[in-house]
Amino acid sequence: MKDFTYKNSLITSVSILTFVLSWQFASSLVGKEIILPSPLLAYQTLVSLIGSKGFWLHLSATLLRGVVGFSLSYLAGLVIGLFSGLNQNFKAFFQPWLAVIRSTPSMALIVLSLIWFQSNSVTLFVTFLVVFPIIAQNVAEGIHQVDPNLKEMARLYQVRSSRVLREMYLPAILPYLAAGGAAGLGLTWKVMIAAEVFANPKMGIGTQMDTARVFLQTPEVFAWTIVVVTIGLCFDQLLNLIIRKQFLFWE
Amino acid sequence: MSNQLEFTLKEISKSYGELHVLDKLSLEIKAKRIVAFLGPSGCGKTTLLSIIAGLKSPDNGVILGLEHKTLSYLFQEPRLLDWLTVADNLGFVLKDKISGSELAWRIDYYLEHMEILAYRHAYPRKLSGGQRQRVAMARALAYPSHLLLMDEPFKSLDLGLKLELIRRFLLLWTMEPRTVLFVTHDPKEALLLADEIYILSEKPAVIKGYHQLSLPQKQRQLTDLALLQLEQKIIKELIEKS
Repeated sequence: MKDFTYKNSLITSVSILTFVLSWQFASSLVGKEIILPSPLLAYQTLVSLIGSKGFWLHLSATLLRGVVGFSLSYLAGLVIGLFSGLNQNFKAFFQPWLAVIRSTPSMALIVLSLIWFQSNSVTLFVTFLVVFPIIAQNVAEGIHQVDPNLKEMARLYQVRSSRVLREMYLPAILPYLAAGGAAGLGLTWKVMIAAEVFANPKMGIGTQMDTARVFLQTPEVFAWTIVVVTIGLCFDQLLNLIIRKQFLFWE
Repeated sequence: MSNQLEFTLKEISKSYGELHVLDKLSLEIKAKRIVAFLGPSGCGKTTLLSIIAGLKSPDNGVILGLEHKTLSYLFQEPRLLDWLTVADNLGFVLKDKISGSELAWRIDYYLEHMEILAYRHAYPRKLSGGQRQRVAMARALAYPSHLLLMDEPFKSLDLGLKLELIRRFLLLWTMEPRTVLFVTHDPKEALLLADEIYILSEKPAVIKGYHQLSLPQKQRQLTDLALLQLEQKIIKELIEKS
């Protein structure tokens, strides 16, 4: 097992190194830092960006929006997922909504909400519409997967529905809640940045990226991209940790 | 022994498509007796229990006397919630019926008599198959019910474990007697546990034989001559073509 982990981390290192070298190679091939900056320049820009006074403001604005957007989506997805998982009529009702929303391109949602809302609401609205169907679908799927034998047992022993929901369904769908959470959170950052780029709220990483694009500051676009990727990875790790610690304690 | 009637089955029939599982089955079950249904695998024993439990409805026939009666059910598999501890698994079905200090007392009491109290804080996945079935049995017995239905409760256990579990079951049953119906394909289980034994035929299940046992369960030994003779008789009835 130890050898395996060691080997794995070795492969990961080689993989990252290959990526950076390919980037460096492509950048030298292009020869123009304004089109494709070198990894070193991107890194230097990132360092000076972190030192700049606006960085933490923009970062926190995006983080706050992401967390709020994700939480709202999660809550709505959980409620709708529970209802459509537990009741066939609700499922039949919500199914078309979710199918349509899922099939609508995020860009269409962004363009429409640009027409309808203020820039701040655009980002939340779009994130919400993209993320909550994923959560809802996962929750409904989780409920669907609950062992019918257990349902029968609870019914025979006439356990009150509120207890069945709290002590049987919720724990049973935790892995699905976690999987939906991971997928939804990953998507949150992607959609959030895209919405910020177009909606240009006063503060936000997407706004900064768009500004950098306008002034052809490509290294800065790269630097911000690295920041967003880092946010995504950090939250992914955090979620993983929580899942392993809290959700599967009985294994 | 009480002669009070617990409930009556009248001409119960059940088919799945072309397959006739039960054909006009009529029975009278007396209160606080342990009644065994013996029959070949797949003869419709589980269907009979499901109909009595109200999980399935019969195509024809009626059940009289079960209205407003509560029941516990011991399944072939333990059916425990993996994310609740052993004690909480009992609590899951008991909390709506019993409250406060009696709840904790009752849980501990039944776990102790199933000799599984040491595992009260353990999660089911940490237990062996036999231990899990003991938890399920504690749950079924701790639940206050008029009627206990058991579907091949000792099926997957080896003989030693089976005898041990039967002994514990009888101990708890004696302290709080209630009507028990159980199905099995093993004559030994029926001989050790039952006051009455019904022998069912292949599908569609009809009653081929009926035996009453008057010797108290505590005094029964599988090596007793009388029991061995009855076992022979039952086996003959079971393999006999109807």
